Amino acid sequence: MRTRLLVTFNIGIFLALMLLGGCAKKIVKQQAGPPIPGLGGSQISEADVHGVQSTLRVIYFDFDKYGLSPEAQAAVQYNAEILKGNPQVSVIAEGHCDERGTSEYNLALGERRAGAVAEFLSTLGIAPNRISTVSFGSELPVDPAHNEEAWAKNRRVYLRVAK
Amino acid sequence: MLISLISLMIGLAMSYPAEGKLLIDVDNPNLMKMPITVLDFTSSSDGSINGKDLAAIVKNDLFITGMFQIVEASVSAALNANQEPNFDYLAQIGSQAVVTGSFHVQQDQLVIEAKLYDVALRKLEIGKRFTAKVNDYRKLVHLFDDRIIEKLTGTPGCFSSKIAFVGDSQSRELYSMDYDGHDLRQLTRTNTINLSPEWAPDGNSILFTSYINRKPDLWSLSLSSMRLIPISAKSNLNTSGRYSYDGNYIALSMSIKSIPKIFIINTQGDTLKQLTNGRGNDISPTWSPDSTSIAYVSDQAGAPHIYVIPISGGEPRRLTFVSNYNTDPDWSPRGDMIAFTGRIDGRFQICVMKSDGSDFKVLTNQGSNQEPSWSPDGRLIAFSSNRDGARRIYIMDAKGSIQIPVSPITGKSPAWSRNNAR
Repeated sequence: MRTRLLVTFNIGIFLALMLLGGCAKKIVKQQAGPPIPGLGGSQISEADVHGVQSTLRVIYFDFDKYGLSPEAQAAVQYNAEILKGNPQVSVIAEGHCDERGTSEYNLALGERRAGAVAEFLSTLGIAPNRISTVSFGSELPVDPAHNEEAWAKNRRVYLRVAK
Repeated sequence: MLISLISLMIGLAMSYPAEGKLLIDVDNPNLMKMPITVLDFTSSSDGSINGKDLAAIVKNDLFITGMFQIVEASVSAALNANQEPNFDYLAQIGSQAVVTGSFHVQQDQLVIEAKLYDVALRKLEIGKRFTAKVNDYRKLVHLFDDRIIEKLTGTPGCFSSKIAFVGDSQSRELYSMDYDGHDLRQLTRTNTINLSPEWAPDGNSILFTSYINRKPDLWSLSLSSMRLIPISAKSNLNTSGRYSYDGNYIALSMSIKSIPKIFIINTQGDTLKQLTNGRGNDISPTWSPDSTSIAYVSDQAGAPHIYVIPISGGEPRRLTFVSNYNTDPDWSPRGDMIAFTGRIDGRFQICVMKSDGSDFKVLTNQGSNQEPSWSPDGRLIAFSSNRDGARRIYIMDAKGSIQIPVSPITGKSPAWSRNNAR
């Protein structure tokens, strides 16, 4: 019963977001991570042709939290639907933190955020072998500014298409 | 300038020890700074080395300990014609001790002869002769200063030690420098994120976290061959590696189902023990000097706090209750204190407490200050601070009374070597 309700809810959100598609895409592109030193991009560009990467939404978090807020859950649900429609795609959930706090603790927090997204994706029916996780702690901010606005953008899990 | 200003400020607190012997009781909470004069080194030869620069190294080393008040004096006033100190004059200006030095340059060799005298007793306490390549002149002076501290406190100084840290460019390369910021060297050129440096106890390699294989794994960098050796890549997360004092074991954080836990591995990377359990994020282990306990960070109570757990296992005990965000513990090599980062009034500060959690103190109050690392003698603390804008590495004495920036470039995550690092 609960499962069915959840699924219905998912589809509802998915459809609603599809209607707002243009807007959502723009936000996603703006939030795409900076080039990551040492991380090759060849596998990504192939999938990018299919447009999957650009449709995936970034999932945001509260300070020092790894639990999924209702907004974050909606973003994961949206992403789950995209992944269901693109079964050839695997993703790396990259966990990030804002600059506050220390490097090592933020690595743990990023790991936990990535894990929370991976776990929720898997409860939504995405095979665990399609999702891997990596934490970047606070090392790769999308916005290097030192203010609330930047911090809010940087506390995120970015789903990077792996193949 | 700074030195003389502070000398002036503490001048009022000057006092003389009751006993006749030159000693600094470093554990005395009401420690009075020892007034000491460091004379410009003299030389009969011309060369690239300047006696004033050599004396400046001594003054800086002594000043940063927080145990000395530098009393300025000129060579002409304080040295007799026979190169012996003018003890009457030195006593008159309030000095308890005086450092003199002479040096001689012959081709690329430098010979330094340095002495420490007790002014009241008119007695030579240390006389040392050092020889090295001219370019290593700072090292020679640091070695002498290590002996001064040993003579006065019973424990050698840490002036020959080094600090490794993470540079601030996007590919976070590792650097090392002398403890005072000189001799900066870039250690890694991996063009990836590198984090959490830790010196091997023998000073010959550095353990760190790197994304060379696109995820945080533990690597070791040999400082002789500059080769990179993989240590632990078993888990999704392999980070905050810290050597036991004998160098045989590494405590680190590895994740199980995305939950970071503290493990003990050997230097080949074999897992020996999972030390912590439960749902908390457990990270940043630090060994007690007797290697029987580990302090670490866990958010098992909802926010990050410092806990301590016996290496034999058992229940972790929470040590921090003051701030609601405490990370990055570093257990003093002397065993008595744990330094850590606490959030005080919304900003990050370097804090210390006794290793049982008592006697909590905040040592910094300007800007954001993080990631404390004790010097090998447990007298100084390195940390990162953005108090002057960009984040740099600072050092301070264990009371926080003297805090100075040392890294010539921006960076974070300082790791202090034990003595005799490469």
